Formats: sequence, structure tokens, C-alpha cells
Amino acid sequence: MNDLSIAILLAIAISGILVWLLIPRHKSSKTAPESFHPGAINALPTARHYGYFPQVRQALSAADAQYLMETAPPHVAKQALRERRAVARRFLKGLHEDFSNLAKLGRMIAAMSPEVSHEQETERLILSLKFQILYTLVWLRLSTGNLPLQQLEHLTGLVGRLATRMDEAMAKISALSARPLAGGLGA
Amino acid sequence: MIAKLGTDSMNHLETFLFWSALSLEILLCGFVFTRKVQRILPLFAGYTYVVLAGAIGVWLTYEYFGFSSPISIKAYWGSILLNAAARSLAIAELCHYGLRAYRGIWALVWRVLTALSMLLLARAAMDAWGQPNGIAIYGATLDRDLALASIVILAVLLIFRNYYGLALEPLQRAIAVGICFICAIDVIGNTILRNLYTGYLFAWFLEGQKALWPALSSQVQRVDDIWSTVHLFSFMLSMGIWCFALRKPIPARAQAPDLLPASVYRELSPAINLRLSAFNDRLAELLKP
Repeated sequence: MNDLSIAILLAIAISGILVWLLIPRHKSSKTAPESFHPGAINALPTARHYGYFPQVRQALSAADAQYLMETAPPHVAKQALRERRAVARRFLKGLHEDFSNLAKLGRMIAAMSPEVSHEQETERLILSLKFQILYTLVWLRLSTGNLPLQQLEHLTGLVGRLATRMDEAMAKISALSARPLAGGLGA
Repeated sequence: MIAKLGTDSMNHLETFLFWSALSLEILLCGFVFTRKVQRILPLFAGYTYVVLAGAIGVWLTYEYFGFSSPISIKAYWGSILLNAAARSLAIAELCHYGLRAYRGIWALVWRVLTALSMLLLARAAMDAWGQPNGIAIYGATLDRDLALASIVILAVLLIFRNYYGLALEPLQRAIAVGICFICAIDVIGNTILRNLYTGYLFAWFLEGQKALWPALSSQVQRVDDIWSTVHLFSFMLSMGIWCFALRKPIPARAQAPDLLPASVYRELSPAINLRLSAFNDRLAELLKP
């Protein structure tokens, strides 16, 4: 590929990225942290998917699967298993959303902070990229049937603690931003 | 602006484009002045004035020295590079605007952008330095590299803003779109132009190859005509975007955000990262055989 093709492809690719970045998205403008008031924090959902985990766990349990295989006709059992995998994928998607919300909270706090550590920010960026890769791999394995559904259960404890931690963090920030701005607040 | 190597006057299309562009430049400067853009974005306002002044300067050079005189060619490429320099300052202002209120993020972003700018400018200088003789070849190379640097800087800025959820205001967004568009066209056009100048049209720049000049003249003119037309059209489109954004009064500037105490970040950021890391560890465990 010569100089010309590279330059043209580069210009088109970067311009495409720019156009994509410049398209106003309601979601991002809503969360633009111009001031960090409690309302903005409440608008950010916590680990809400965890709340549905008992039902999901029941639906994915080995006992349920065993019962289906024994009692239901083969085609019905097969379809049920397919649907269970679809439910597991949707749940995984929900967990992805929970992760994104936590990462977004981290970015909002960074944006509103007068001091930011580049080590912390780099670490969070790498963690987010790593999560995307892992999430894709888990999703693929789940879709191809190579991941036992029961393994998802291991995530529950973590997500539960995550939900509690996020709620605590948000309550703390709400309290801080609600009180009159002291000398420590920059503007 | 239009510059043609080898003829003494502009054709009808070039004359039309020249006066259209000049009219649009005057209109844009009028909008900039009446909307008092210089109060919020002085360097962008300066850029629009530099573009207008450059156009008038080059036109005066054409009038006095002839359309294809060496001085006119130098004046044309000089104005192009001056525009590129003013545009770079406008981009720097765009980076600074709005982000400076977020002190923590700004402290992070400006270092990255400065390092990147230095790298790209050094690359542009080295690239232009190695070119064969000819003001047009230097100009096309430098203009292309500066345009590419502008696009990269704008992309990095927007990635940062997007990542931290700090959306650009409509006027700044329109300015970024206009600059991005003209820079993309410049990168593509100047690369093609430079390849032609340093390729089969190279003899046009060599004194020792004068015998070939009559044969090359029509091709050089054709290349210049096409590039001038494309460049002017795209620049007019960018100016149209800016004029459209300035058709209404600029809204009052957003209030500076109320920042959180630094202790909040110091306490919560490591905790959030730890939690995110635990999440990744658990996902990785799922993948283990």
C-alpha cells in the first residue's frame, strides 16, 4: 500500500471517528457532570440487575435442567435449554451494564475532582478494556454452549457487594455535594 | 485561495469560486464580529480574520504581480501555511475551552495533547525538510501534515471528552466539524498533489528540465485547477457550517462546575478500580478450563 492510500484511508477513518464522536448523544449529555448534585447521582442506576438474580438462578439451576430432561419431550427440553442460554446472555448483558455504571461513576468523580491521578485513570481505562475482552469471550462461550450456566453463579457474590458499595459511594457523594461548598471545593 | 502554475489569469470557474469564497469569508467575519465570538473564542475569531486577510493579500499580489508570477505562488503557499498555523491555534483554544474548568481532567489532558502536538509538529517539519526543491512541494507536504496533526489532536480531544462525558457546546461542535472536514480534504488533496509533484510532474520544478515544461504545462494546470476547485468548495462548506452555527446569538456561557473535594477522588477512585478489577478476575475465572 502506498503513501497515498494510507493517507486517504487514515483521513477517512479518523474523520469517521470524529463524526461519530461529534454526534450528540442524549445519554452522554444527560450525564455531563456540570454540577454534581444528588439528582445526577440518582439518575445513574446502581447494580440493578443483581436484584433479579434469584429468579435467574432458579431458571438456570441444574435441578431445573435435570427435571426438564427427564420429564419434557426432547424437543421441548432442547428449546428450554436454548431459552435458558438466552436468559443467561441477557443477564450477562445486565452485568455489563452494572460494570459500565461503576466505571462511569469513577469517570464522573474524576471529572469533578480538582486533582486526578493519571495512574488511577490509566488503570481504570485498562480495566475497562480488559472487561470488554473478557465479556466478549464469556458471551461467545455461553452462546456456543461451552460455558456451564452454573458458573455464572460465582458472579453473584461479587455483584451483590458491588451494588452495596455503589450505593454507599453514591450516598456519600450526595451528602458531600448537598452540603454548602466549603473551602475544599474548587470551582 | 487559488494559485495556478503557468497562466496569467483565472478562468471563469476560478473567478467565480474566488469571489464566492471571499464573500463567504466576509460574511463569516461579519457573524464572528456581531456575535462577539472574540470574547469567548478569540483565537477562532483571529483565524477567520487571518483567512480573510490572507485572501485579500493574495488577491492584491495577483493584481500587482500577475496570477502565475513566482511571488504570487509564494504568496499563495504562504497564506495556506499561515491559515494552517492560525487553525492550529484555534484548535488549541478548542482544547482549552470548557475543559479548563475541570481542573483535574485538564491537568491530565493538556500534557497528553501537548506531547502529541510536539510529536506531530516534529514529524511535519522532518517530512517537509526532506522534500525536493519547490515551494509547492514544501507547501503541500507541510499543509498535509499540519492538517493530519489537526485531525489527530481533535480526535484525541473528543475521545477524552466523550470518555469523561463532557459534551462540546453546539458552537464548538460546529467549529470542530468544520475544521475536521477541511483538514480531511486537505490531507487527501495534498497527498495526491504532493505525489503528482514529486512523481511524473517533478520535471516542472527542475530548472534543468526546461525543455519538458511546455509538454507538462497543461497537465500541471489541470492538476492545479482540480485541487483549487475541490479545496475551495470544501473550505466554503466549512465556512457555511460555521455561519450556520453563528446565525443565532451565542447562548450565555455555562457556569463553572462545582467540583468535589479532592478527598472524594482519593478515597473512592482506588476503591472503584479495585472493584472493577475483582469483576475482571471473576470473569477471567469463568474462562478457565
